[in-house]
Amino acid sequence: MKRSHHIPNHALIWILLSVTLAILPQVNNLPYDLLLLAGACVLWRLLIHMEVLKFPRKPAKLIAFLIIAISLAYQIQRFGPGLESAASLLTMGFAFKLIEMRYRRDVYIVLSLCFMLVMVALLYSQSAIMTIYLLVCIWAVLTAMVSVNRSARQASPRLAYPLAGKILLQAFPLTIVLFVVFPRIAPLWAVPIPSEGATTGVTDEMSPGDLSQLGRSSDLAFRVKFENTPPPLHSDLYWRGLVLEDFDGETWRRSRSRSAYGAAAQRVDFQFQWEDRVQISGQPLSYNVILEPTHQPWIYALHLAEPVNSNLLRSRNFEIFNSSLVSSRLSYDMRSYPGNRTDVVLLDSVRRRALQLPDDGNSRARELAEELRSSTINDRDFVYAVLAFFQENPFYYTLNPSLLGEDRIDDFLFGTQEGFCEHYASAFAYLMRAAGIPARVVVGYQGAEYNRYEDFLQIFQYNAHAWNEVWLEGEGWVRVDPTAAVAPERVETGVEAALANDPAFREQSLLMSVGLGGIDWINTLRMRLEAFEYEWNRLVVNYDVGAQFDFFQDNLGSSENGTRQKLFLGMSLLLLTVLFVWALSRKRVTVKGGILDSAYLALSEELSHYQLARRMGEGPVDFQDRVVAQLPEISDLMNQFTEIYISAIYGAVQLSEAEEKQGLTQLRQLLKEIKQCLRHIQPVKSAQFTLFKMP
Amino acid sequence: MRLHQRNIFILPSGHGLIFLGVAGLIFIAAINYAVSLAFGLAFFMVSLFLLSIFYTYKNLHRLQLTALATAPVFCGETILFNISLSRSDSEPAEGLVFEFIGGFLAKAREGLSEPQTFADLLNSENLEIQVSVRATRRGEIQAPLLRVSSVFPLGLARAWSVVDLPLACLVYPRPIPTPLPPAMADPGQSLGLHSKRAGAEEFEGFRDYQPGDPLRQLAWKNMAKGQGMLVKELSEPVSSSLWLNWELFYGLPVEEKLSRLSYLVLRLSQGSSPFGLKIPGVLIEPGIGPAHRSRLLRTLALFESAE
Repeated sequence: MKRSHHIPNHALIWILLSVTLAILPQVNNLPYDLLLLAGACVLWRLLIHMEVLKFPRKPAKLIAFLIIAISLAYQIQRFGPGLESAASLLTMGFAFKLIEMRYRRDVYIVLSLCFMLVMVALLYSQSAIMTIYLLVCIWAVLTAMVSVNRSARQASPRLAYPLAGKILLQAFPLTIVLFVVFPRIAPLWAVPIPSEGATTGVTDEMSPGDLSQLGRSSDLAFRVKFENTPPPLHSDLYWRGLVLEDFDGETWRRSRSRSAYGAAAQRVDFQFQWEDRVQISGQPLSYNVILEPTHQPWIYALHLAEPVNSNLLRSRNFEIFNSSLVSSRLSYDMRSYPGNRTDVVLLDSVRRRALQLPDDGNSRARELAEELRSSTINDRDFVYAVLAFFQENPFYYTLNPSLLGEDRIDDFLFGTQEGFCEHYASAFAYLMRAAGIPARVVVGYQGAEYNRYEDFLQIFQYNAHAWNEVWLEGEGWVRVDPTAAVAPERVETGVEAALANDPAFREQSLLMSVGLGGIDWINTLRMRLEAFEYEWNRLVVNYDVGAQFDFFQDNLGSSENGTRQKLFLGMSLLLLTVLFVWALSRKRVTVKGGILDSAYLALSEELSHYQLARRMGEGPVDFQDRVVAQLPEISDLMNQFTEIYISAIYGAVQLSEAEEKQGLTQLRQLLKEIKQCLRHIQPVKSAQFTLFKMP
Repeated sequence: MRLHQRNIFILPSGHGLIFLGVAGLIFIAAINYAVSLAFGLAFFMVSLFLLSIFYTYKNLHRLQLTALATAPVFCGETILFNISLSRSDSEPAEGLVFEFIGGFLAKAREGLSEPQTFADLLNSENLEIQVSVRATRRGEIQAPLLRVSSVFPLGLARAWSVVDLPLACLVYPRPIPTPLPPAMADPGQSLGLHSKRAGAEEFEGFRDYQPGDPLRQLAWKNMAKGQGMLVKELSEPVSSSLWLNWELFYGLPVEEKLSRLSYLVLRLSQGSSPFGLKIPGVLIEPGIGPAHRSRLLRTLALFESAE
């Protein structure tokens, strides 16, 4: 191999840096042994560079290949064939290529793989922070590319990263245009979802302990932005998820037969007579929700909600479903009706389902229900009586309740008397049903954190909540939250206040808002970062087919057959072309009298019609003589022209800028006159001339 | 010769194609995983690629190449063609690669240690570079087409231009060592340095010292006066001058004859006896000195080479 194909020394550091930066985001996704191996490869290459070690020979390469194969088998066994396995294969192949990297073409392969790793990192996280990090990573890659191509022969090799940074910044405008304009395409084939994204959030089953588990998590569940109206009071923020109706004595389930959510079966189920069952009064609330991936089909909304997007479906219990699993961040618009009555007339089948209870067990709870029932005149009174029961007895709201025995409801109501919201909701619904009042459990989220910088709400996993809906004669389904009777601050200000003294909650949220809530500037900073992250997600990450459509509709009116899109694209391209041409033709003449050349060249161009173009290396005076000999008509003008030009270009005094401009004006004037003169003269046909041209 | 839009070509390099391929893969992944920013990444790569075309082109744009004089060489040696680079604007041009293409190149590049010349035109207005070609035959050699190319800065695109510069080089016949003909090895007309006998010469004048001159001929007195190193030039009292004759190598092919004559010219130039050249059609009177030597070699190089 020729020397020119070797890697310049100063480039190697940048290459290794890019590789390290590209592998780093994979730290969470790769097993540690593979990471160690990758690190060792980087180190090995560095040592080769320092001439401590040598390039690997055949046996070493074989061993490397075996290691890749074994680790891949291990990964596939662990995660199955999917993104993780592909990512680890990519990383390992990449790291081993590094130690073998000897020539420039190897560098090109390694650097192109860096871009692949950047893409893999984006599959895992598209946050603003990650994006900025990856841009830094791309900067390093570009610097490595510049360094590889910059010769080391320069006396003092100039720094590569400013140029790389410049290129990086210059690539942005076109990227943004392409990003906005380029049509998005639906997935070509189904891809396995990263197994890391196991289902999160509220599930369609609720046993004691499920929600309190979520209560320990400070992960973001979704963000909400209200249009035009300020967000409702905290105590009114009940984000409905699922309605659970089946109870087996321990667990509440959505529906025994439909836990798999076969899409086809659901679709049929969602066709129901909305108008017949709903009475709406008051102003609707419009808002946009950006839901973090849950890998479940249902989504969350306030009160009685009507989806604005067409691909969302409603169930008979007014739950809302996405048409597929929410495997990536989902943005949807909702319209909610705070003043509403649903199912004022209850179907028998629904009533039966809402009264269903296991045949035996929890005898003390049943006795309590009967006792309270007999002392109250109507269903509403009974609801108040049960809530009063919770309030008057020493119930305690905690994330860490004691374990419950065989008869769970009895044990909770009369034994431990401590629990998280699911305990209260469960017991409340049980008592209602035992007293013959249709009741069900609703799971979702309650409350939110308000970000005043971007005016949006953030709902975290610890906002997970369970409450009840009770059917009352003449009112339909009414929301009742028994937890509010026990811990009113949970509903009024939030779970943070309700659990401020709960060790289990504080442990989880030490670094989050709750733990450091008291420190003002950290809180402000966090809010600002979250506000930025929200905008980032709203504008960039969620820019999909729908968002693209909306963008063009909002900005360019209705897009019939995409004509306007094409127009926009065309205009952008035209603009870019103009910029390109402008940048190329930008003259930076530093020669003395340089600007006069343009007029002189124009003259030569004009005279070329008469086969009198200035020849290569012909001086102005010779040119003038030749022209005058051929075209005596313009001899005066030509002489003047040449005189001005010569004195400007070859004169002893350097002309000032103003003088040059003046000279240029004169030359242009003369040129105009020459053209006028020439108008009467027949140009020489070039073909004729060529035929009779003498050597 | 000036490079501009009409004579600069640009195409994606191998790396550029790999890069675009990776961008395509990322685009497909973006579609399938519906990852918005992966779309962004793919578009970013395409933008980088387009930008790199622009940057690479700009490297060659407005580059001015001028042919300079080239020192003669002997056949079989490497010709170093001198080219001057300049630019009307002050933009740097980096990573320029120069190499000759076409013509007799396949042979001419054999065994050449550096067929390519690299250059960076940074701040200097002017830069002189040398591009090498192996001299394969004697005579007046016209340089083949010169290719100027660059992949700087990202290596994604290669811009090149092929220029035909009026570069020429005189190639002398390859010297073939040959014993001195007996007539010349005669003591009275000896050529060897050691056989110069003192007393047999007459002082003729001073000339500048050249490496290889015998120390005893140095004009020490003049040197002590600070007039530099001068050598006393002595003329030998030889009446008949030496003639390098075509007939010396009777029976050998023409090129062989020229090569041997070329060697003898070099050999005799080291001595101090004047010598002349007699070949068909040319007669050069005896003389000595570098100018005489060049003249003889030139004559030999151009002998019957009006092809």
